[in-house]
Amino acid sequence: MKNLTTYLWVGIFILILATLLNISLGSVSIPLDEIVKSIFHLEVSKESWQYIILEYRLPKAFTAILVGSGLALSGLLMQTLFRNPLAGPYVLGLSSGASLGVALVIMGSSLFGGIAAGLFLSKWTLVIASSLGSFLVLLAILGASFKIKDTMALLIIGLMFASLTSAVVSVLSYFSPSQQLQQYIFWSFGSLGNLSWTEVGILFLFWLSGIILSIFCIKNLNSLLLGEQYAKSLGTNLKQNRFLVIFATSLLAGSITAFAGPIAFIGLAVPHLVRQIIPSSNHLVLVPAVILAGAILMLICDSIAQIPGSELTLPINAITSIIGAPVVIWLLVRKKKLMF
Amino acid sequence: MKKIFFLLSLLFIFACKEQKTKESNLSSFQGKEIEVSNANGFSITNYDDYKIVTVNNPWPKAEKKFTYVLSRKGTQLPTDLEYDQRVTIPVKKIVVTSTTHIPSLESLEVENTLVGFPNTKYVSSKKTRALIDAGQVKELGKNESINTEVLLDIQPDVVIGFAVESGNKTFETIKKSGIPVIYNGDWTEADPLGKAEWIKFFGAFYDKEDLATTIFNQIKTEYNKAKKLASKSDHQPNVLCGAMYKDVWYLPYGDSWQAKFIDDANANYLYTNTSGNGSISLAFESVLEKSQKTDYWIAPGAFTSYDAMMNASEHYNKFEAFQQKKIYSFAGVTGETGGALYYELAPNRPDLVLKDLIKIFHPEVLPNYETTFFKPLE
Repeated sequence: MKNLTTYLWVGIFILILATLLNISLGSVSIPLDEIVKSIFHLEVSKESWQYIILEYRLPKAFTAILVGSGLALSGLLMQTLFRNPLAGPYVLGLSSGASLGVALVIMGSSLFGGIAAGLFLSKWTLVIASSLGSFLVLLAILGASFKIKDTMALLIIGLMFASLTSAVVSVLSYFSPSQQLQQYIFWSFGSLGNLSWTEVGILFLFWLSGIILSIFCIKNLNSLLLGEQYAKSLGTNLKQNRFLVIFATSLLAGSITAFAGPIAFIGLAVPHLVRQIIPSSNHLVLVPAVILAGAILMLICDSIAQIPGSELTLPINAITSIIGAPVVIWLLVRKKKLMF
Repeated sequence: MKKIFFLLSLLFIFACKEQKTKESNLSSFQGKEIEVSNANGFSITNYDDYKIVTVNNPWPKAEKKFTYVLSRKGTQLPTDLEYDQRVTIPVKKIVVTSTTHIPSLESLEVENTLVGFPNTKYVSSKKTRALIDAGQVKELGKNESINTEVLLDIQPDVVIGFAVESGNKTFETIKKSGIPVIYNGDWTEADPLGKAEWIKFFGAFYDKEDLATTIFNQIKTEYNKAKKLASKSDHQPNVLCGAMYKDVWYLPYGDSWQAKFIDDANANYLYTNTSGNGSISLAFESVLEKSQKTDYWIAPGAFTSYDAMMNASEHYNKFEAFQQKKIYSFAGVTGETGGALYYELAPNRPDLVLKDLIKIFHPEVLPNYETTFFKPLE
């Protein structure tokens, strides 16, 4: 256990380092002392620098932490609930619901007549559309989870939702002019920037409630690892536990998708990454480790996506997979087996 | 015996080919080329019984030229003439596919020949809208996937299409049915006057080259006059373009059509040294750093009000042009059904676009001018 505390402190230290790195790197190169001055509201030689640090890079770094940790945790919850290493935060079909909501707002107009409000909709419109979409899917899944005894069936139902919504989205795309298509595709790339402090605050509230709910589940999650029958014999209320886990995941993944779009890969890969590094299946260890690792990986990916020193940026979704996938493959090959 | 026969026939074929090339040399010299001064994408050569229109650049980096023969009904073409499509002129039933084609038809007074258009709701012009409402112009479906059945039913003399790259399947099907599809490349022109000159291309289909030339020369004179007026002003304001989606700023390249207008209006586009196709996507922070104190900001995406911009991102408020309300947009000037007039008319009337910008950047130069496309944001 002492060993694990060391891991925790090292993790927190790396997280702080990654945050500082993330804040100090960007398209505009700002000297380190000016960054420190900006953060402490001291006199800065260029006013735009202070604005960039306080109103753009800092909220972006916080978003990265919330998004990375939230998705990684929901990935872990889903993998344990379904006892399936392929599960991720989106297996319940939440992101499909969100993308359907967004697609209807962006591209629906061309199908139902009238010309769209334009390329640059108010961002709240998309947040609300995405949340509504996720929420409807959540309701359906929860309804199903009370009716159905077999947890695996939920997995299939989630997959079916995904196919259904993607079919509707393709019909919408087929009829959409290129501008709207482009806007939808941009949304599906995900983005951590452009969140104001208010939005970061709202996201934080959802994140916090998701995290607290998951902490309540830890004991039951551990017993689930031994199989549903065994968990039952240990006195776990399976249905209630399933409900809690699904609800926590939905809060996390749904709010993150609403504000940052469907961020790929992190949710699936981080739990595997952590299990390869820390050989433990105790959720008391895994939950904090996954939260830390998710946040760190997201911060690093975002720093790379900004291509420091260049005026261009890359979509965050591309980076998470390009950086993350080789790491997971390398770990698997090195350890020669999957820790699950 | 069979082999000998085969060889003989080969010989015969080659012999024939030899003769053909000679003939084609003969037929090409009586052509009279129509003068094209600003456009790079097309040329028109008139012969006694037919004309040849070549389109060089139907899409960026096109590998081949397209040669189109325009002739009257029943004309015997030289047997050796090689071409991609043949059109019978003067055209009585036409289908065009881009709103930018419509002003040319109207200027040439042949909008009555328009029988079909994809996505008619994007058409803003009142004249053509009246034809659409009267049912004279058929809706051909959405975008590039034209409803082939409806089109075949109309049986137009020609379809003026455009493609962003080779191999548009719909157009291939239409061609197979015998309806010629002609590619229009006006949108690849980088010069504002070059785009407008494509009216001559449309003129050729109606035997109205002279009218087309007169109209174009008028526009060109007006454009150059305005440009000269603007150049007399001795201050050059800085100009920013475009808007953000999430935290990425999209703006036109320095060698684009839009940038050329700003340049000709005697203003300084901040990204004038960039070059490429489409739009540049830049990180928000680098745009803020470079353009925070810029004097004017034009064409901020589809925004028509300061409130909408603030709604989309509070970052916009950091720009001086925003604080001092010096943002101008063309998105607010739309037709009855919502299509932006700028997209339809601007390529054909560069003189109006230039005057709009001069009125914004140097109001003292054109004191009594009322802008057509660009209006201040609300």
